[in-house]
Amino acid sequence: MSAESNKLLIDIGSTYFKVSTSNSIEQHFRDFNRTILDDLTQKCGDTVQRYDQSDVHICSSANGGLSTLIIGLTQSYSLKYATNIAYNSGINIIDSIVFQDIETYSVPSDLIDVVIVVGGIDSNSGLFDERLDNYLAKLNYSNFVFVGNEPDAQAIKSRIDNVTLLPNIIDNRLHIVETHLKDYLTNLYQQDIEGKEDIKHLYKITSNQIYSTPYVVNKSLPLINASFSVTDPFILLDIGGATTDVHYSKDLLTDNIVTEQGHDRIVFKKLGVYKSRQSLIFTAENNEFSYELLMHLKVTENIYNENSEKATKILMQLAIFLVLCKMSHYRPAYVTLKLLAMNSIVFTGGITKVLTTEDIEDVVAFFYRKILNSEHKPATVLDNNYDIWTLGAKEHAACQ
Amino acid sequence: MKIVTGVIGNDIHVVANRLMDLSLNARGYEVFNLGVNTYLEEFFDASVETGADVLLISSLNGEAEGWARDVKPLMSRYNSLDNLVMMIGGNLTVGSGSATDIIPRYQKYGFDLVCHQVDLNTGLDMLEDYLKEHKTS
Repeated sequence: MSAESNKLLIDIGSTYFKVSTSNSIEQHFRDFNRTILDDLTQKCGDTVQRYDQSDVHICSSANGGLSTLIIGLTQSYSLKYATNIAYNSGINIIDSIVFQDIETYSVPSDLIDVVIVVGGIDSNSGLFDERLDNYLAKLNYSNFVFVGNEPDAQAIKSRIDNVTLLPNIIDNRLHIVETHLKDYLTNLYQQDIEGKEDIKHLYKITSNQIYSTPYVVNKSLPLINASFSVTDPFILLDIGGATTDVHYSKDLLTDNIVTEQGHDRIVFKKLGVYKSRQSLIFTAENNEFSYELLMHLKVTENIYNENSEKATKILMQLAIFLVLCKMSHYRPAYVTLKLLAMNSIVFTGGITKVLTTEDIEDVVAFFYRKILNSEHKPATVLDNNYDIWTLGAKEHAACQ
Repeated sequence: MKIVTGVIGNDIHVVANRLMDLSLNARGYEVFNLGVNTYLEEFFDASVETGADVLLISSLNGEAEGWARDVKPLMSRYNSLDNLVMMIGGNLTVGSGSATDIIPRYQKYGFDLVCHQVDLNTGLDMLEDYLKEHKTS
């Protein structure tokens, strides 16, 4: 048996957990009256016991992600770059603020996990005055990171407590520098996962770091052709219980930010069919095409109040439609993808256990017809054995 | 002295842009070249991020006029661009047109220096003279 196949891979979702060995893959609905460790031990204890702690690799998407507020100098550079990095680190963006207009923005009342301030190349300075201090004084936040010009970093450090200073994300040729902020946010996300009481217990069965699932899935994308017949450019939708993750080829972007990665990702925090069911329904009710889609699927809006297999199936179909809308020009949410250039659409997560290829193709065709006015038909690929997650997890485990 | 430059709109005349970059560098400017296919907002945003002294927009296919009409309203939204020297050069009209008509038009749009069908070195000499004049005045 190879070293790779000796690994035990575990994915903790908000609704299900999955356990993968070299021979089998199990999926269990979570018992919310127990801790994750108790639940896992009760349902898969024998399997877990067979593995050494160093061979157990766990990832989790159960924390829902962190929230951030970005304050930048301009839309085209600082805000665009920081937004790109934040999304790629699995962070949810609450708002982005152009600094010169900061006094006109309202202050969010919710606790912000991390505030990012960015702007100016290193040979520019004096860009963030006391208006920043005044705004931050009113804001409720846990972490504050400055990734703007170097001279201002020192000035801000002397004025504001507990600021983390990182190298500028804009270099002297106005290009993006991702590494430092990305590492910082990924680690913060990591600490948040580890800080969750439930997840902390899992370190009793593994000596490896617990990673976020979107991060692990993203690692598998360059290798996806090893398991599936997928033609670039493609998007991968992971529709789960609490969140929906979208991974997409950068070729589908209209923006031309040059980064090292070939695939980006976005996490829609409140689009899921179990824990985020209510917000999914709310989003659907605010989309004028949802009613038509329900008609097309031969159901009425009463389906929202049902708790049946059929209702879950319809909600999943709605989730596909709503996510595609958010990625299109119709309801842009951060990125607008060139969906007419997309050749494949890959589905993974719980959705593949509920919907058939025909169910999915039906909704995708409806989306293209109604929103993009096109008969375009990307190839639908279903990852119904969680091969993409295991591929990413194995790749990641091999690197550890 | 910092200078932001690039080709405006859907214009892809990259060779001219490269020559501008080389000439500006040779004259000692710190150049931020945004390349071809650049939109007005990107020019202004780059000027803010870099703290540029001069914004030099070029156009070869003549579409600049369509964009230049938006210079004043867009620029007025920025608080920190009051001292930015605005310059435009290249072929500034579609079809034929004389410099005597074109230059005042672009000045009305908000440009301090307008070079219509002027060779590169002459245009950059004009910029140097302008900067000297404004430094002494």
